Amino acid sequence: MTAPRDPSPGDGAQRGPGQDSAGEDPEHIPGLAQERTSLAWTRTAIAFAALGGVVLKENVVTGLIILALSPVIWQLGRVTRGSLPRADGRPPVMAVVGATRLFLIAVTIAGVALLCLIVAIFGKSVPGALQ
Amino acid sequence: MSWSSRLAALLPGAVAHDTGGTEPDPRFTFANERTFLAWSRTALALVVAGHAIVQLLPPFPGVPAGRHLLGVPLIVLGAVLAVVAYAEWARNQHALRRGEPMPKSNVPWILAATITGMAIVSAIILLISAVR
Repeated sequence: MTAPRDPSPGDGAQRGPGQDSAGEDPEHIPGLAQERTSLAWTRTAIAFAALGGVVLKENVVTGLIILALSPVIWQLGRVTRGSLPRADGRPPVMAVVGATRLFLIAVTIAGVALLCLIVAIFGKSVPGALQ
Repeated sequence: MSWSSRLAALLPGAVAHDTGGTEPDPRFTFANERTFLAWSRTALALVVAGHAIVQLLPPFPGVPAGRHLLGVPLIVLGAVLAVVAYAEWARNQHALRRGEPMPKSNVPWILAATITGMAIVSAIILLISAVR
């Protein structure tokens, strides 16, 4: 599969209400890609909250830390919306901030997994809680 | 290309200042980001599952280490998956910028193989604990 290139406005892509002038506005995002991505960030934040809830049952401090990360993740998803490729030739802000926040998410999940590993091995279990 | 330089190329600064090719259509950038987020949620689900197995399940009779045998690999896989998902995102973004074919990914295969392996280990542990 070859990476797709810039499609023309008439390529059949979905458009949201009032999004019928692709190409005129450098900040314009065709289709509903931004909304879908925003929802994906929200689902990721909810997944963090769910993990925090599970861990909270065994270890309050770790659970609260993970729960507190949930709104931070949600906020990260809201950063730089509208910072798309700029017409003046400068590098797009989205690329700079985008890479950093995705890297942050990956490192955060790896760190949370490490915390959960420590709690799982050394923490006090509640056997039978799922009986 | 050495491993250290490959790792350095994955750091956010290096990815962000990749000036090769042209900026891809925002829709494809967003799609790549959503794929990364989907892998991240998969990683979180693995961590939750592993944690719940170790901390909340009752012990398996006759297999005292059974819960850890099942839960710890899932948590470790979750951690690895999160980092690998970022590397995949960076590779895909690199290919998108240059209009190159999308790089082949082994992550779905690794995930499927691990889940299958864990299912087999679970079945064995359950059988042993049922017999004893």
